[in-house]
Amino acid sequence: MGARGGIWPAVYARMHWILLGLAALLPAVDLLLPPEFRLADLVRPIFIFAVLGMGLNIVTGFTGLLNLGVAAFMAIGAYTYAIATCDIYPFQLGFWTALPLTIAVGAAAGIILGLPTIRLKGDYLAIVTMGFGEMVQDSLKNLDVITKGTQGINPLPSPTLFGYVFKPETPLPWYYLFLALLAVVVLLTRNLERSRIGRTWASIREDELAATCMGINSMKAKLLAFAIGASFCSMAGGLWGAYLGSSGEPGNYDFQISIIALCIVIVGGMGSVSGVLLGAFVMIGFNAILLTKLTAFLAQHGWTSSDNVFTSPSNWKYMMFGLALILMMRFKPEGLLPSRRVKAELHEYDKDVPRQAGGATT
Amino acid sequence: MSLLRVDDLTLRFGGLTAVNKLSFEVTPGQIYAIIGPNGAGKTSAFNAITGVYVPACGCVRIRGREAKRPFTRRTLWGFLLVAALTAAGLVLAVNAEPLWEAAITMNYLYQQPFPWAKALQDGLTYLRDVEWKYSAGAAGFGALVGLAGAWSVWRRARCAPDVLAGAGVARTFQNSRLFHQMTVLDNVLVGMDTKLRTRFWHAAFRLPRHRRELRESSRKALEILRFAGLEKEATAVASSLSYGHQRRLEIARALAVEPVILLLDEPAAGMNPTEAAGLMELIRRIRGRGIAVLLIEHHMKVVMGVSDEIAVLEYGNKIAEGKPEAIKIDPKVRAAYLGTAEV
Repeated sequence: MGARGGIWPAVYARMHWILLGLAALLPAVDLLLPPEFRLADLVRPIFIFAVLGMGLNIVTGFTGLLNLGVAAFMAIGAYTYAIATCDIYPFQLGFWTALPLTIAVGAAAGIILGLPTIRLKGDYLAIVTMGFGEMVQDSLKNLDVITKGTQGINPLPSPTLFGYVFKPETPLPWYYLFLALLAVVVLLTRNLERSRIGRTWASIREDELAATCMGINSMKAKLLAFAIGASFCSMAGGLWGAYLGSSGEPGNYDFQISIIALCIVIVGGMGSVSGVLLGAFVMIGFNAILLTKLTAFLAQHGWTSSDNVFTSPSNWKYMMFGLALILMMRFKPEGLLPSRRVKAELHEYDKDVPRQAGGATT
Repeated sequence: MSLLRVDDLTLRFGGLTAVNKLSFEVTPGQIYAIIGPNGAGKTSAFNAITGVYVPACGCVRIRGREAKRPFTRRTLWGFLLVAALTAAGLVLAVNAEPLWEAAITMNYLYQQPFPWAKALQDGLTYLRDVEWKYSAGAAGFGALVGLAGAWSVWRRARCAPDVLAGAGVARTFQNSRLFHQMTVLDNVLVGMDTKLRTRFWHAAFRLPRHRRELRESSRKALEILRFAGLEKEATAVASSLSYGHQRRLEIARALAVEPVILLLDEPAAGMNPTEAAGLMELIRRIRGRGIAVLLIEHHMKVVMGVSDEIAVLEYGNKIAEGKPEAIKIDPKVRAAYLGTAEV
């Protein structure tokens, strides 16, 4: 937690608002940068993935259930949003009615997955959720008549707000739209975390048996976590659809998305809202901004060759993800901005393990 | 009338009978102790009573009523609802594409408004005209799966620990199972959780009701901590407490459940004589609040000092029961603890 005393603990407790505030100021910095380095345009996916990470964080970080099927909920969200808004279907809802619908459908999907599987523990649940991810992807591919198969559903209309239309060519309004929605998600998550519901989740994470012996219905609490997590992931999918102007094809929502979401939560700090924000910034920023820019820059100056794939930094990205995860797990398993409780849980037995060469660690 | 009544409780692990036809009765305001050599089945009996393990047979009654989730009309409607939804979902899934085509694609000619009534009618017509075998098969299978799933989940949750806690049985654990990384106050608040009335919406939007309940519950939790002598540690993290205080916190957390009977599993283990004396005093004060206590303990000074009645277990069987003075001189108990003299 860093140094004790002074204003640091207070700053740390409000870190998520500070991060969001910094994000709100970013477009001002953009004015000083040369046009090819404008960040506001590139930062938008970070916000969407932060919402996705927030959903996973509720399930995995707060409640301690490993969910590897986040991409499925994102896909459900993106397709729900696309079907609800696209003009090749009769529904043609606006952004502000389609988004709540997307969230509701996500929650329902979470409950449908959760009801039969929530009694499973640890790895078993992870495998089931992983299977769910593959199932949704294949179903979307094969329900040709409804989802247009691998073409994806497009084009989607631009969102509007009180008559203002968000055009694809003006990134700044989008930037603040996504930032505002992310702020709402952060606010709700923080409120839940500090309420009796967050306390129930934490008690299940720490010791499920003790929690049930205190009268807590762990099925209900876990199902609630699943539903809320899925609805946030679904919302991220809907926003992704609005941002792309297309549902994307089913293959876009593959296992990689689930893993990236998990990396965001782990790198940032499990169970920590500010950690997820920072994790999304680091992971997606690295992936979508740094690597893209670096690759383009190197190609421009003739330092990479199209004959040799190893010279392009983009092709090293999963190698770097893996390395980052390994280093993280070895040196800072609690993440960059850890929650105090999770950090303490991970280090609970450190003091009991005698320090010696080759000593086993728990 | 008895407060807690255990009848013929039997618990088996494979071929091993850990608890064999255990019956006893605790009356209101009583401190009832279960003692016995190591491995006699005391903790197993506790686990079977609180629903942690499912007993092979026997039942637990609280105030004459069996502590099980009742099968009400609501449960039945719930089963039927799940079955119906699964059936409907499966029928829709089987017919998804042609149904969509008949209802939506055929009716949507890029004109607005969309004829919703006609779409609904076409959809129903499609479902009626389609080969009935397919739909019926899907519906039947779906209903069966839904019903079986709902039944099996409900049956397993029937006498789960949370049901017993709801009926007024709270417990502590032999090796303390606190929520170690939560604060002392939060630990007690988890115990109080089922009594709270804040729902998801109140918490998510921090409605006034939520804030009011937060204040009230914290005050109540502090009261419980004061009762257990822990009010100074309220903001400390549970794992930072001394061993004796951790045991007290476990009792405080169980008291927050507002039980009618409190099950204490070796509360004095590892305590020094002063702490043990403090514990005895705490147990008596708990009884003074009108809560009965069921106690497992090896610390004979504590057992003989506080209990009204004692049962002795050996190899899962109850070998003696009675007042502390009678137990002390019981030859069978002496044999169980010390062995018999070779003759």
